[in-house]
Amino acid sequence: MKTIAKSAVVLLSIIGTALAAPQTGQPAPDFTLTDSNGKSHKLSDFKGKFVVLEWLNHGCPFVVKHYGSDNMQKLQKEFTGKDVVWLSIASSAPGKQGHMAPAETNMAKEEKGSAATAVLLDADGTVGRLYDAKVTPHMFVINPEGTLIYMGAIDSVKSPDPADVANAKNYVKQALDEAMAGKPVSEPTTTPYGCGVKYAN
Amino acid sequence: MRLLLVALLAVFAAQPAEAQLYQGQKLVEANLVADTSAIVPGKPFRLGLHLKITPGWHVYWQNPGDSGIATQAGWDLPDGFSAGTLQWPLPRRIAEPGDIDVYAYKNETLLIAEITPPEIFGAESVKLRARPSWLVCEQICIPGSTELELVLPVAQTASPAHADLFAKFAAELPRTSPPPFGVHWTRTATGWNLSLAGIEAAGQADFYPYANEKAPVGHMAPVQIAGGGADLAVPVEGSPEVGGVVIVENGARRGWIVSSKQNTELAAPAKKSAPRGLLGYLLLGLVGGFILNLMPCVLPVISLKIFGFMRQAGDSRAQILQHGLAFAAGIFVWFLGLAAVIVALKSAGHEVTWAFQFQNPWFNFVIGAVIFIFALNLFGVFEIVLPGRATQGISEAGSHGGLGGSFAQGVLATLLATPCTAPFLGTALGFAFSQSAAVIFAVFAAVAAGMALPYVLLSAQPGWMKFLPKPGAWMERLKQFMGFPLIATLLWLLYVIGQQRGTDAVIWAGASYLFVGLAAWLYGAFLGPLSSARAKTLATTGIAISLFLGLGYFAGNLFARSAAASPGKKSSTPTEGMPWVPYSEAELQRLLAEGRSVFVDFTADWCITCKFNMRTAIDTPAVRAAFAKLGIVPMLADWTNSNPEITRKLAQFERVGVPFYLFYPPGRANDPVVLPELLTEQIVLRTIDAQP
Repeated sequence: MKTIAKSAVVLLSIIGTALAAPQTGQPAPDFTLTDSNGKSHKLSDFKGKFVVLEWLNHGCPFVVKHYGSDNMQKLQKEFTGKDVVWLSIASSAPGKQGHMAPAETNMAKEEKGSAATAVLLDADGTVGRLYDAKVTPHMFVINPEGTLIYMGAIDSVKSPDPADVANAKNYVKQALDEAMAGKPVSEPTTTPYGCGVKYAN
Repeated sequence: MRLLLVALLAVFAAQPAEAQLYQGQKLVEANLVADTSAIVPGKPFRLGLHLKITPGWHVYWQNPGDSGIATQAGWDLPDGFSAGTLQWPLPRRIAEPGDIDVYAYKNETLLIAEITPPEIFGAESVKLRARPSWLVCEQICIPGSTELELVLPVAQTASPAHADLFAKFAAELPRTSPPPFGVHWTRTATGWNLSLAGIEAAGQADFYPYANEKAPVGHMAPVQIAGGGADLAVPVEGSPEVGGVVIVENGARRGWIVSSKQNTELAAPAKKSAPRGLLGYLLLGLVGGFILNLMPCVLPVISLKIFGFMRQAGDSRAQILQHGLAFAAGIFVWFLGLAAVIVALKSAGHEVTWAFQFQNPWFNFVIGAVIFIFALNLFGVFEIVLPGRATQGISEAGSHGGLGGSFAQGVLATLLATPCTAPFLGTALGFAFSQSAAVIFAVFAAVAAGMALPYVLLSAQPGWMKFLPKPGAWMERLKQFMGFPLIATLLWLLYVIGQQRGTDAVIWAGASYLFVGLAAWLYGAFLGPLSSARAKTLATTGIAISLFLGLGYFAGNLFARSAAASPGKKSSTPTEGMPWVPYSEAELQRLLAEGRSVFVDFTADWCITCKFNMRTAIDTPAVRAAFAKLGIVPMLADWTNSNPEITRKLAQFERVGVPFYLFYPPGRANDPVVLPELLTEQIVLRTIDAQP
């Protein structure tokens, strides 16, 4: 009896976890966040367009790798040019690395030459936890129907060394290219790498 | 805030390749160390990347977990040198806010690789280089790397170096050998269930998965070990094959490399943990009881009983069933009686083990007497006269009065079966002895039911018996013939008595049986209903004198005074050539401490299965030669007489009976192989050969 009860609890918690964690092939959880200019963005408002979510922390060496090598900006430019909505999300808690006030955020965006559609501020980590974002940069791609079609690493070489960008396969580009060509995404889930997202304790 | 960030970025920009400084502090100090003072051509040695980490910060394991990055050794070895796979000490799980779990090292670690130098090279010294890189994190993460080199002289001999450091971290490496417990993987809807069974100590079990690029393994949590087992849920979408390290922590922290591609079962049926419910044990008891019918020590009685069935084949169904049930009742009464005795002794705090009765020479003596009388009965020396039915004997068991005979046969059959611990029975009884009185009774009843099952079925379905031959004069001959297996059994018991009490005891027991036999003959010849009153008086007097001499003088006086043979000098097991070392725990531990490989045979003279194994699978020329060649010490734990040390050793493996065989491969003092109870030469050779 005790065993049955225990199994039930385990099963329920598994189901609960499964429901909570986003999954590729499933609808992307909807959210509303304010950007660094005070403008509110609702994910479901972008239906009909591809959306990229990029978890961001400019203090993280892995983010530094992809911005320092201009890799991230190139990717942003290429796909915003193809009418893709690119949302960078900062989930660092106040007082932790990567947390910035709106003005600071805008300055950093300009300094780095980021071509993101907007940088969303998620200081309480609500959306980060909703997407189970573990690292910066943790990448998600959503198709025009609102389905999550990719989540994971930005590319295939796990290192903080900018020199590795050239040798890496970019999973985000691969997912977008395939989906835009009407093909299924060949690698819809990969293990992300990076620094942990600096959530509030 | 911004200033700090800018300062940080400046640090990265300025010295990306240097050992990083953070607020003036060196976060990781890396060094290259070798476990040898010099390189000997062709001789492998260990090279280690020693990382000292600022308190509070951590570097990452081969699978960093949710964030971070695996530390890289970056060996850069001269031509001709080859490096084995990088060996990682057991990591720790660090939970960070936001449900982020990482696998990492704090304070200090040593990543080790075995380096094989070429057989021939001319240089006087060798420069080993590494360009390690790592990510070190606390609240924030900072990548680091450095360039290291270690110059070692080339020599023909070398002495160990950094022995303490290598010993400390080698102890933290996961083992590649199969774990000393069962590991069973089952796919579930959400990944895998990793079930561990038969863990000897209490504590926590945990699993650290290896990285899987396409399907990240979700979060694990340590699980409390209960009943020697633990079930770990390994969440990974689509359940691809998973590898990793199972860690058992109970004071010490030990890990084993496992893979979902391979289930490792316990070699022993003494699976402590497999949470086999009472129902499972009852089933095992049932099967074990059934198998008892096939044991050599019960065989004579089986023939006896089949013979009885044949005689009964002409009777009414109801009567045949009655006999079958009476026989079954005998079996039940014996087992439940045994259960009652065990429960009583258990509650009295005595050390009780299976087949313990045969350690008592008096028990053997009495059983011998009963068997002898039974044999005389079969030979036709006398007929058993049961109360109320003066002339009806066991040989006419077909009649109503023979029910008592069937009952007695049931008791005898089980009596003879007890020393044969069939494999299943061993587990069920091992379980029973540690349980409450009610459970002990239930398990013993299940054993009884299993043993009685074929007889009850056969007597309820007498149709089967029409295939048996028709009764006739040959039956009397067959009955007489059946006496001989019983005499053979008697010889075995006398042999056991001889081992326990010496040759004199055998003679006195034999003399006692002689007079008991005389009494039986007098009874059969002169106490029948047709005898005259005078004959009866004389016969009764003769019986009294015979019994007095037999039981009173030879048994009660001479047999009782025969000294117990000292277990030490006993050549109990006629060993043709195996140089057995007598078992003692101290001697065993001494040999193991020397790194010797030891084979321990737990045996007893009254255990026919043990004898059979000894003759056919252990003390054979091939096994003797293999033992000698591999330097395996044969150790004999003789349990013929009660020996608390051996009883404790058996209990350690949840055994309550023999045969039992343990093999300690070299260097596995805490991790012996348990061999099956029924051995073949092949099993023994494979077990000892299979070990490195």
